[in-house]
Amino acid sequence: MNNKGNSRKRPQPPLPPPQQPQQKHHSSMEDEDVDEDVFLEETLLLQHEEDTQAFRDAEERQAPRLQKWKRPPLCQHYLSQSQSIIFQQLDIDYVIGDGHKDLLPNSSGPAAILRIFGVTKEGHSVCCHVHGFEPYFYISCPPGMGPDDISHFHQILEGRMREVNRSSKVPKFVRRIELVQRRSIMYYQQQKDQPFLKIVVALPTMITSCRGILDRGIHIDGLGMKSFMTYESNVLFALRFMIDCDIVGGNWIEVPVGKYKKTAKNLSYCQLEFECLYTDMISHVPEGEFSKMAPFRILSFDIECSGRKGLFPEPTHDPVIQVANLVTLQGEDHPFVRNVMTLKSCSPIVGVDVMPFDTEKDVLLAWRDFIHEADPDIIIGYNICKFDLPYLIQRAEVLGIAEFSILGRIRNSRVRVKDTTFSSRQYGTRESKEVTVEGRVQFDLLQVMQRDYKLSSYSLNSVSAHFLNEQKEDVHHSIISDLQNGNSETRRRLAVYCLKDAYLPQRLLDKLMLIYNYVEMARVTGVPISFLLSRGQSIKVLSQLLRKAKQKNLVIPNVKQAGSEQGTYEGATVLEASAGFFEKPIATLDFASLYPSIMMAYNLCYCTLVTPEDMHRLNLPPEWVNKTPSGETFVKSNLQKGILPEILEELLAARKRAKADLKEAKDPLVKAVLDGRQLALKISANSVYGFTGATVGQLPCLEISSSVTSYGRQMIEHTKKLVEDKFTVLAGYEHNAEVIYGDTDSVMVQFGVPTVDEAMNLGREAADYISGTFIKPIKLEFEKVYYPYLLISKKRYAGLLWTNPNKFDKMDAKGIETVRRDNCLLVKNLVTECLHKILIDRDVPGAVQYVKNTIADLLMNRVDLSLLVITKGLTKTGDDYEVKAAHVELAERMRKRDAATAPNVGDRVPYVIVKAAKGAKAYERSEDPIYVLDNNIPIDPHYYLENQISKPLLRIFEPILKNASKELLQGSHTRSISISTPSNSGIMKFAKKQPTCIGCKALISNSEYTLCSHCKGREAELYCKSVANVSELEKLFGRLWTQCQECQGSLHQDVLCTSRDCPIFYRRKKAQKDMVEAKLQLDRWNL
Amino acid sequence: MEAMEVDSSSKNGGFLLQRKQSLYTSLDSCFEIKKEEMYRGQQFSQIYYARLYLMRTLLYSLVPNWKPLLPVCTVLGLEEGKECIIVGTLYKHMKLKPSILEEYSKERSAIPLVKPHNFIHPDDYLVLEDESGRVKLRGDVLLPSVYVTGIVVALLGKGSDAGYFWVEDILEAGLPHQVERPIESGEDKYVILVSGLGVGSSSSNPLQFQLLVDHITGHLGDAKEQSIAAKIVQVIIAGNSVEIPCGLLNGQNLSSKDQSRLSEPIKELDILLTQIAAGVPVDIMPGPNDPANFSLPQQPLHRCLFPGASAYNTFKSCHNPHSLKLDDVSLLGTSGQNVDDLEKYSDAKGKLDSMERTLRWRHLAPTAPNTLGCYPFTDRDPFFLESCPHVYFIGNQEKYDTRLIKGEEGQIVRLICIPRFSETGVAVVLNMRNLECHTLSFGTQFG
Repeated sequence: MNNKGNSRKRPQPPLPPPQQPQQKHHSSMEDEDVDEDVFLEETLLLQHEEDTQAFRDAEERQAPRLQKWKRPPLCQHYLSQSQSIIFQQLDIDYVIGDGHKDLLPNSSGPAAILRIFGVTKEGHSVCCHVHGFEPYFYISCPPGMGPDDISHFHQILEGRMREVNRSSKVPKFVRRIELVQRRSIMYYQQQKDQPFLKIVVALPTMITSCRGILDRGIHIDGLGMKSFMTYESNVLFALRFMIDCDIVGGNWIEVPVGKYKKTAKNLSYCQLEFECLYTDMISHVPEGEFSKMAPFRILSFDIECSGRKGLFPEPTHDPVIQVANLVTLQGEDHPFVRNVMTLKSCSPIVGVDVMPFDTEKDVLLAWRDFIHEADPDIIIGYNICKFDLPYLIQRAEVLGIAEFSILGRIRNSRVRVKDTTFSSRQYGTRESKEVTVEGRVQFDLLQVMQRDYKLSSYSLNSVSAHFLNEQKEDVHHSIISDLQNGNSETRRRLAVYCLKDAYLPQRLLDKLMLIYNYVEMARVTGVPISFLLSRGQSIKVLSQLLRKAKQKNLVIPNVKQAGSEQGTYEGATVLEASAGFFEKPIATLDFASLYPSIMMAYNLCYCTLVTPEDMHRLNLPPEWVNKTPSGETFVKSNLQKGILPEILEELLAARKRAKADLKEAKDPLVKAVLDGRQLALKISANSVYGFTGATVGQLPCLEISSSVTSYGRQMIEHTKKLVEDKFTVLAGYEHNAEVIYGDTDSVMVQFGVPTVDEAMNLGREAADYISGTFIKPIKLEFEKVYYPYLLISKKRYAGLLWTNPNKFDKMDAKGIETVRRDNCLLVKNLVTECLHKILIDRDVPGAVQYVKNTIADLLMNRVDLSLLVITKGLTKTGDDYEVKAAHVELAERMRKRDAATAPNVGDRVPYVIVKAAKGAKAYERSEDPIYVLDNNIPIDPHYYLENQISKPLLRIFEPILKNASKELLQGSHTRSISISTPSNSGIMKFAKKQPTCIGCKALISNSEYTLCSHCKGREAELYCKSVANVSELEKLFGRLWTQCQECQGSLHQDVLCTSRDCPIFYRRKKAQKDMVEAKLQLDRWNL
Repeated sequence: MEAMEVDSSSKNGGFLLQRKQSLYTSLDSCFEIKKEEMYRGQQFSQIYYARLYLMRTLLYSLVPNWKPLLPVCTVLGLEEGKECIIVGTLYKHMKLKPSILEEYSKERSAIPLVKPHNFIHPDDYLVLEDESGRVKLRGDVLLPSVYVTGIVVALLGKGSDAGYFWVEDILEAGLPHQVERPIESGEDKYVILVSGLGVGSSSSNPLQFQLLVDHITGHLGDAKEQSIAAKIVQVIIAGNSVEIPCGLLNGQNLSSKDQSRLSEPIKELDILLTQIAAGVPVDIMPGPNDPANFSLPQQPLHRCLFPGASAYNTFKSCHNPHSLKLDDVSLLGTSGQNVDDLEKYSDAKGKLDSMERTLRWRHLAPTAPNTLGCYPFTDRDPFFLESCPHVYFIGNQEKYDTRLIKGEEGQIVRLICIPRFSETGVAVVLNMRNLECHTLSFGTQFG
C-alpha cells in the first residue's frame, strides 16, 4: 500500500454483519475494560476433518516452500514428554470450555480455560491450556455476618444472577463465597484487617453482571435493601490470572515434567500443546538467563489493492493484488523468508520468492497457508490494524472465502473483527479496529509512532525518512491499477515497492529497539504485551498497584466513574519568565524525578491519606502526619508505609540497577534489554502521579495529585528564595544571583559570572546546598548551563547547552517554531538559521541580514516553492467542517478538476497561498503546489510575511532588538517585489507575447535580436548571467533526479514517485520546468 | 587555411620562419545537444538504458572469447548455484555519498561538516542492474572501491539463495579499436595543451600568461626558440580560462561597477586569445568555472564573450569533452570533471590510473549522471567510446603527469594530466610525431 498512514488506510465503514460473528464494542473510556467470553464451540472440535481438507491443497501448492517456512522439528525429549517445558509467553487469553476431567475431577459445567501462547528457546511454538483458575472479586462483609448468613446471601445472589443471565446454561453461577480478611487501600486505617467476602463466579463475564446486581442493591433478610461497594471487580480475567500467578508480560514460564498432559486432540497449530493446572506453573522472574528473548518469529507484511480511479480502495469492490511478507527471527539481522504473492504473473525478483496466482482467492488462500506454516508470533506492519488486516478479512468475506479467516493459532477459529474507540487523555480519541488473531500479537508500527513520537507526519515515508534516513518511493494510488493492468514487468515493479513497504516496518522495529523496549515495559509493569498498544497508561499502573496490594493484603475498590465532576486542581507552577537575551551563563537546577520523589518523601498514597473526619476521630498527633500545602493530611511512613511510595522506590531502585548493569554489559543484545528496561522503569515511575490525577481513570485520588503539585510549587519557590538569599554580594559572592525562570521541575539561575566553568561550580554548590534542605529522596541536581540563553516567554526559550566547560553540546530550543508541524518549511528554516546565527555565531547583525535577505527573496519570488507548502490533514469532508478551512476548500476544488488525483479524507493536503482578488478569504486562496508550478500562479508573499514568518521572528528578535518589527519587516528590502504572470488566467489568452531585451526588458520590435540597441555591448555580462542561471539549474536538476533514482532503487526505469511528503518533490518538479525555460532563454542567444 | 608566419623580428635579419600546419578535423558533433534533443521533461533512465544497450552489444560479442561455454543470463533469470554470466550497469551503494536530502535533515549540526575529498567507505557494496532488476554483488575479485556507479560490465558467477550474486570473474569492455598510425612519422609538430588560465582569479598572473602567449606566437627567445615555436600547430585550452567573481551572479540587477567587474576578466582573456588566434589555431574548451552550462557535455563558450578572437577563423570555441583529429592523430580530452569525480567516488593510485580505467571501461564519464552533472539524453550516450584516441588529456589538475599505455590489440594511448596554469605556470607540449610530451614552465620571478 502506498501513502501509508495518511490516505488509504483509514478505517473502512463496517460492513453489514455477515455470517461471521462480528461484535461491536464501543467503549468510551479506556478503562472500561470488559472481558468477553469466547466459547470453545463443540462444532469447532468436530470440524477437524474438514480442516485438514481445507489445508490439503496447501501442501500441494506450496510443497517446496514449506521446508523453509516451517519451525524446527521437535526433539525426542519433547515428543516423549520427558522434559520440562520452558517458554517465553507472549500472549494470554482464555476460552470457555469444559473443565479437564483428569486435572480437575471435581469440576462441573463450563469454565474459563486460560491459554498461554509462547515460544521455547529452541523456537518451538507453545500453547498451554491452564485449568483451575477461577474469576472472583471482593465485597466488604457487612458487620455481623456469620457463616449462615453468607450461605443465605449466596443463595439470594445465585437467584438474582439466574434472573439476569437467563439464557446461560451454567449449572452454578456463583461458585462459592469465602470470608477473608482484607483491608481497603483507601484511607489510613488503624485496624489491620477487616472481613471481606470473596465471591467466586463461574465465568469471567459474570463478574460484571454480578457487580451490577450488587451495585444496584440486593435485598437481604434482616438487612433490607443493601448495595455493596465491589473491590477488584474491574480486573480483566487474564490480568487477574497473571497477577495471582506472578506472571509478567513476556516472561518465561516453566511447566515441570509430569505436571502437564498433552492435549487429547490438538486444538491449535502449535508444536507443543498441553494442559496443566495453574498451581503447577513456575513463573520465572526476568533476570539472568530468563531476561533473554526467545527466537520468536516476526512477520512484517503489506498489501496492495487496486483502487478505482478517484476512490479509496474498498473491500467491497477492489481486489487485493499483492501481499508481501518478510519473516525475521528475533535477534537476527536479516529476514529468513521474503516472498510476495501476486495476482497475475510477475517477473522474478532476486532473493525473493515470487508467487503469482491467477485468482484473488488463490492469493488470499496462499497467504493464509503461509501464515499457518510460517506461524509468526508477532505480526507487524504499518497501519495493519486499521487497514491491511481488516481489509483482507472483509475482502475474503466479499469473495465468499469462508476458510480464509482462520489465521490464528486455534484450529477452525475465525479471526474476529470489531470496532473500538480508544480514548485517553494522553493520546486523544482514536477510532480503530480490533482484529483478534488468537495467539499472535499484533504490533502496528503506526500506533507505536503515534504513541511514542511527536512527528509532523506519520506517513511511512516521512517516518522512515526521520528514523532511517531513507526515503521511500511513493507511488500514487491512481498508478497502482495501471501497473497491475500492465505486464509482468510492471507488476514486478509494484511488487518491489510492496516489499519495501513490508521491509521498512521491520527496519523501524530494529532501529528503535521496539521489541526490547516493549517487552521490558511489559515485564516492568506486568501487563501482556498486547495491552501496551491497545490500552492507555493507567492499566500499567493498575497492574503494579494490584500486584503490590496483593502482597499487602489490600484490596482496591472499584470506584464509580466520577467523570470530570471532581473538578481539576492547580497544576505545576511556572515562575514568571524575565524575557530577554542573556549573554552570561545561566545555570539550570533540576529536580530529579520530582513527582516520584515528592510522593516518596511525603509518603503520599491512597492508604496513608487521612480523611478530615478521621482526623478528628483518630486524634493523630501532628508529628505523625504531614499536612500538605494543598491542605490534605497523610500519615508518615513510621505509622503506615504507602504502597505508591513503595512501588516508586522499587521502580527507581530497579532503574538504578539496570543502569549499573548496562554499564557492565558487553553483549549488545543484553544491552538492548537493559536499556529498554531502564527506559520502561523511568516511564513507569513518572506515570504513577498521572494515574492518581486521571479523573476518568481507575482509581483517581485528587488529594494525592494536588498534594504532589502543591509540594512541587512550594519547592520551586523555596529554591528561588534560597538561591537569591544565599548567593549575594553581601554573602561574599561576586554577584547577586537572580532566578530568571522556573518551570515544573527546574530553575534557571543567572549567577552573574562570565564563564561557563564558574557558573557550573556555583550551580553545583547551589544544588548541594538546597538539596540538603529537602526531605530525602528529593534532590536538586545541577546538570547543565545555557550560554547564551534567549528566553522568550514561559515555555519558550532557546540556548546553547553546556554540560562541560570546554564545548557546548547542542542548541536546545523549546516551544519555538523549529519543530512545529503546521508551519511551512520556510519558517522552520528561518528560525533555525536565526537561532544558529544568534546563539552559535553570536552574530545578531548577521541574523538580521539573513532575515532581510529571506524576506527580499520571498518578495522577489525567489524562494523554493517547497519551502512554502503548508500541509494539513483532511479529516472529514467539507460539509462537516464548521468553519471553512483552506485545505478543505482546496480538496473540494481539486475534486472538480480531477477526481482521480484529488485528496481523500485521511490524506494530508499540501497547499500554498496564492494571490487572488482583493478581499478574498485565505481559504479561497489555497492552491495545489503542482498546479501553481504548472500554471505559474503567483504566490502571495504578504500572506507568508504576515501570517507565517512575522510572529515567530518577532518573538525571537524582540528580546534582542529595539524596534524589531520596524527593523525586520519594513525597510528597503521589502520594496522590490516580483510576481510571476499566471499562464492560465483569462486575460492572458488575449495577450500577445513579444520578445523583450534580456538586459532591460524593453520590447524589441525585431525578434531576431536578443538585446535592445541600448544594451548592446553588455553581451558578455548578460550572457554570463543567463548561463550562470542555467548552470545552477542543471546542477540542481542532476542532484534532485539522481536522488530520486536512488530512492527508487533503479537506474533504468523512470521515477514514478509522487510522494508529497518528500522534501524535494516540488523542487524536482520545478527543476524540470525551469530547465525547459532556462534553455529557451539561453537559446535566444544563438539567434 | 592561410599560411601563417611567426613574426620575424629584425634580430633574425628578415629571415622568415614558416609556421607548420596540420589538418584539423573536429569530431565534436556527438557532444552537441541538437535542436531536436530539446529538453522535454525526460529523466535519466534513458541515458542509462542507451548506455546499457550499447555496452551490452559490445560485451556480448566479447563473451564467446572470454568464457565460451557459459550461458548468459539476465538478472531475473539467475538461478541459485548455477554458474552464468550477467551483463548490467554497476551501482555502488555508498554510505558517505552526499545527498540533497541532507539539506533537510532534522538538526543542523553545530560542528561544520568537514568535506572529505573522497566518499568511499569500507561498507560500500556493488549492485548489478539490468532493465529486469538488481542483484547485490559479493566476491573477492570485485573491489567496490575501484568501481563506480554507471559502468557496464559482464560478470561471471553464481546466484545465491540469499539474493546475492557471487562474482568469480569480471570482463570489462577494454580499450576500443584504434586507427593505426606509424609510430614515428614525418616531422615534429607540437600541440600546446594548457588549462586553468584563471584570468581574473587571485592566483592568476597576467605576465605569466603573456609570456606563454608570446612564446606561442614566437615573440620570445632567440632564433632557435622561435624555430621551435614555429612548429606549434595547435593550442588547446582545456577549461577554466576565466574566473568570475562569485556573488555577482545572484539574479539581481548589477550596479555598473559590478557590471564591469564581471566583464573585465572576459575582456582580458579575449585580448590574449586574439593574440594567439592571430598566429596559431586555438581551441578553447569550457570548464567547470567558465561561463558555460554545468552539465556535461558542456556546450561551447558563446562567441559573444570573445568579440576579438572570434573574428579569426583560427579561433574555435569547442565542447567539453573535446574530440578532434590533427593530421592522423586523434585527441580526446575533458576539462577534468570526469576524472575528478572518479577520484571522489573511487580509489585509484593517481589521476592517470583513473584515466586509464575510463578507457578500459570504454566510457568517458561513467559517474554521469549519478554524481556528475549530465544532460539527460534520450537515445544515445555520447560518452561511450567508439574508438580509441591516440592522445587522451584532462585539464585542471594539480600537477603535470603523463604515461603511455598499450592495449591488447596494440593500441597506444598517450595520457596527459594538464596542470592548472595559473597555479603552476606550466603548459604541456605534445609532439605529434612520436607522441612525446614535455612541459613549458613560465616564471615571473627574478633570481
